[in-house]
Amino acid sequence: MTSSSPSTSSNVRPWTGAARALYSVGIRPRFRWQELGLLVVSAAALATGWASLQSFRNELLELGEAGLLATYLVIVFVIHVAFVITGRRMDQVLFPTAALLAGISLLLMQRLPQDLVSQEIAGQQLSLGPLQLVWIAAGFVILSATAIFVRSDGWLRRYKYTWAAAGIGLLLLVFMFGEVTGGARLTLRIGPLAGQPSELLKVILVVFLAGYLAENRAMLSASSTRVGPLNLPPIPYLLPMLAMWGIALAIVIVQRDLGAALLYFLVFLALLYVATRRASYVVLGLLLFVGGGAVLYGMFPHVQDRIDIWIDPFADPQGAGYQIIRAMYAYGRGGILGTGLGAGLPQVGVIPSIPAIHTDFVFAALAEEMGMLGALGILGLYALIAQRGFRIAASAADDFRALLATGLTLVIVIQAAIICGGNLRVVPLTGITLPMISYGGSSMLVNGAVIGLLLALSDRGVEPPPPGTKPNVVRRLGRRARGLGGRVEEALS
Amino acid sequence: MDVFTLSLWLLRIGFVVLIYLFLFMVARAMWHDLRAGVAGAGRPLGRLAVIAAQEGRPAPGTSLPLDAVNSIGRDVNNAIVIDDSFVSAEHAMLTFRGRAWYVEDRGSTNGTWLNGQRVEGLVPLGYGDELQIGQVRLRLERSRQE
Repeated sequence: MTSSSPSTSSNVRPWTGAARALYSVGIRPRFRWQELGLLVVSAAALATGWASLQSFRNELLELGEAGLLATYLVIVFVIHVAFVITGRRMDQVLFPTAALLAGISLLLMQRLPQDLVSQEIAGQQLSLGPLQLVWIAAGFVILSATAIFVRSDGWLRRYKYTWAAAGIGLLLLVFMFGEVTGGARLTLRIGPLAGQPSELLKVILVVFLAGYLAENRAMLSASSTRVGPLNLPPIPYLLPMLAMWGIALAIVIVQRDLGAALLYFLVFLALLYVATRRASYVVLGLLLFVGGGAVLYGMFPHVQDRIDIWIDPFADPQGAGYQIIRAMYAYGRGGILGTGLGAGLPQVGVIPSIPAIHTDFVFAALAEEMGMLGALGILGLYALIAQRGFRIAASAADDFRALLATGLTLVIVIQAAIICGGNLRVVPLTGITLPMISYGGSSMLVNGAVIGLLLALSDRGVEPPPPGTKPNVVRRLGRRARGLGGRVEEALS
Repeated sequence: MDVFTLSLWLLRIGFVVLIYLFLFMVARAMWHDLRAGVAGAGRPLGRLAVIAAQEGRPAPGTSLPLDAVNSIGRDVNNAIVIDDSFVSAEHAMLTFRGRAWYVEDRGSTNGTWLNGQRVEGLVPLGYGDELQIGQVRLRLERSRQE
């Protein structure tokens, strides 16, 4: 938007020594006034929220210990300056929006009971708030590095089957070695590092789908097979759809991760529709979904539980329905304006009133303390991410980029919709994080990379590689990596 | 109501209000953006970027704006004139139908090539695809949004 208006896209005149030095090494700084303005507003909002939280706690008007918030704001503005100095012509709304969401996350984690999580990092025992700051900082480093250094999408475009194979491999690793948390086999532990690969898998999946659909778009939108009232494309081209459906089912069965399965399938259907404009795919996909859902409901007690709780949480108020009932009471306490940060959530000792409030139920916590208006504001921020992402997709130079940007946007937005809907009892609850807000390292890192990639795709300085030429990044990676990728690619395609 | 309670309430409301101020600032920018978009509705549907031309005509790097129907050839009556000795007078036709681009050969001597394959009949193509006409390589791109 205003990246194209004259005030923001004008180059800095080389009137200082520093600017001249930058020019001499090929760096052209470019002010980003809109981003700066939005960041200042976010910083003001976060400072106000922080003051409100601390004042309530200490019963004194004050900012309190603001070390965490100050550190966070410094990180955010350093990244802004890095964007300005490197002169990237990227979207100016996405980063401030992500910064506001992550800042709200930091506020909330600082507000929740600190001993919910505790982990030792570099010899220091950190609790919930500081730990989340570490994850946010790491996520933002990845975000800015992706946005600044990704100058070509060839490495994603060329090796789509390799990516898909890596994703499936990751999934298999979790199937075999994953640890069970909260009834789902999600966590993979390698030495001291633990992570949830399903977060990473969603990005890999989008890259593969964008590559596959961009290549086979014309074939997929042609129709030759008729099944009843539906016009379908040639049967071989339907296979990926069925494979995708199979993968989603396998995840539900083996990993018991309903949320991820739902997310993958919805993103896949939406991307397929975007690429082909054929409603018959969506109808067919939903039929498959309903059929698969019915079979799973009959076969697995944990799927049954989720649906039953959704329909009537009061059937078992102290057991299965406890979480969702507590959340509903929280909305009631919050009302329209909310109780104010720090004032909600009566705790029994140190136990929060809603189990998993820092991961699956952050939306309920925010809705209680910021009220309906605050919750709507947060949904509005996700709507902004959707609008920016689809805009980036609409102005992309070719099909791969358009589909990639659409997919990355959908991953964030659909995930937010699934978990907010689950919290509000609009759809059955499935355990999944609220992007950029929930506590969690894997989630922060991956969502940082997603926003970073969207920013890189929005940069008008990044041109798509001409077909048939090898992209620079790959050349630099050396022959060995290329040979391996090439072999995998050949074997799979 | 004492001063402390009142200012705490103001802080609380201020937090949410500032989030809405953020949303408002973006919404206003979007609105301007949309108006600018409507003003630029007459822009071309796409463009052909010249990647390489053996004889230097048209110069590589230039981009040719496209309408819904574009005849391509060496004859001056074509919408896109490519003055290359391997291009026929009436060489190819590039059309935008519905929401997709199609290319068709018009019986040229040396053929029209899409991503290295000879075009037979009406072939759909997407943004980013490469056309070869005579000794000129062209890439179909979206028109720039400025």
